[in-house]
Amino acid sequence: MSGGSGIPVHRRQFLRDGARAAALAGLGGLLGLAAGRSAGAGTVWQIDPQKCVRCDNCATHCVLEQSAVKCVHAYAICGYCQLCTGFFEPAPNDLNTGAENCLCPTSAIKRSFVEDPYYEYSIDEHLCIGCAKCVEGCNRFGNGSLFLQVRHDRCLNCNECAISKVCPSDAFRRLPAGHPYLLKTMSH
Amino acid sequence: MKSRNQTITRRVFLRRSASGAGWLALAGVWPGGAAQRNANPFAYDLERVSKTDPKLVRYEQAGRFACPARGPRRLALGPGDRLYVAARNGVSVLDREGKRLDHIAMAAPARCVAVAADGSVYAGLRDHVEVFDPKGGRLAAWESPGKKVWLTGLAVAGKDVFVADAGNRVVLHYDVSGKLAGRIGEKNKERNIPGLIVPSPYLDVKMGRDGLLRVNNPGRHLVEVYTANGDLESSWGKATAAIEGFCGCCNPVGLALLADGRYVTCEKGLPRVKVYSAEGVFESVVAGPESFPENARAGAQYDGSDGLLGGLDAAVDSQGRVYVLDLVAGDVRVMRAKA
Repeated sequence: MSGGSGIPVHRRQFLRDGARAAALAGLGGLLGLAAGRSAGAGTVWQIDPQKCVRCDNCATHCVLEQSAVKCVHAYAICGYCQLCTGFFEPAPNDLNTGAENCLCPTSAIKRSFVEDPYYEYSIDEHLCIGCAKCVEGCNRFGNGSLFLQVRHDRCLNCNECAISKVCPSDAFRRLPAGHPYLLKTMSH
Repeated sequence: MKSRNQTITRRVFLRRSASGAGWLALAGVWPGGAAQRNANPFAYDLERVSKTDPKLVRYEQAGRFACPARGPRRLALGPGDRLYVAARNGVSVLDREGKRLDHIAMAAPARCVAVAADGSVYAGLRDHVEVFDPKGGRLAAWESPGKKVWLTGLAVAGKDVFVADAGNRVVLHYDVSGKLAGRIGEKNKERNIPGLIVPSPYLDVKMGRDGLLRVNNPGRHLVEVYTANGDLESSWGKATAAIEGFCGCCNPVGLALLADGRYVTCEKGLPRVKVYSAEGVFESVVAGPESFPENARAGAQYDGSDGLLGGLDAAVDSQGRVYVLDLVAGDVRVMRAKA
């Protein structure tokens, strides 16, 4: 047996060199895999509020018993309306907190008086199930200050997010873990 | 002939059972059943209030055309029933059929427009008013009235110009030279004015033939009537998703006046255009939510500057036809009263 340079190579040396090359290739593969996993751990799932179509999949497809997706509120955009369409049913009997008038199926939105005729609305995340009913009401009539976000204090950051697989508008995307939220803002 | 009491074999019994189970399974995957299963249990249900009683619709569509410019916001009619559409790149001038006659280009989006009897065009940009001669030559750019200004409505009457500033919840009264003469609609207990509530950028103002201003107060679901000096004369309106009232958090978003003093109102969320008497009593529907499927779906487009853009605007020509601007579809419908 001879090498490319014409120098003969013993079978034992050939096997030894082959084993070294295989070991190096294996090491490279392991390093590549580790690097890939490291990059995956550096990103998190998030919902693009501009793409979200307010279906109920976030409430029903998360692997957690109570979804990691919650409604969040951009107070700077909110109109502080007396008749908040994210809080009240489309045709409420009265503008009070009676269950028959309220939109949220879990009473996760709290309403507090500011001054006539303004009211402030806040989300109790322990009760919110991410159904987006309030988000639809707010976006339909109001300024869209209510929107959904994956809350990373509870998200398991699954490699393949169960909600993203069924999201009809492709609103789920990966973000750097250092900037995990997509918040709504206004230019004024 | 076989007897009705004939016994069946075990094999026949199993075959028939399997067949029955198959039919049941088929029924389970039938589209109706699937739809039932896939129905969104958290759906925001507007179906009940989205349907318009056909008896109430007393207008029919006489024409429809696309706006030549993107991002239309408001429209107005000028001399000769020329249509002026404020849009992202300026004001487009159209004839009754939507043919573009002229375009007044602007550096920033025009958010509202009004036309004087002499053809002078007043355009509201975000924070100031610009004035153009009838041929589109710029005559003046008025100084911005202050901080947080968000102009969304304009009216011109003789030597007076009224500018609706949604950002500061006030209607500014100018003379035609751009000199500020007064502020209308601000909260004032002594004058018994509750104040304008404007959650989203849709404040409108129109001048009636009786010399009184009509201003929408969307957060209170009212239309208010003011003198040019800012005295509140009257108001009307009711917050309800029912057809006789104004729906959602903040409506109406646009106003127009018929020659006899009756009102045409525009709403967003449940996009509908309606006619009210001069006293504010509901009379009829010009077009209901069924006419604006894109607009109704919307909640609409998100614009980084204006937030959510939806809704409608309207203007009335000399023949009483109502021109309805759909901000989402970007088109104008010409509606005439049914014979």
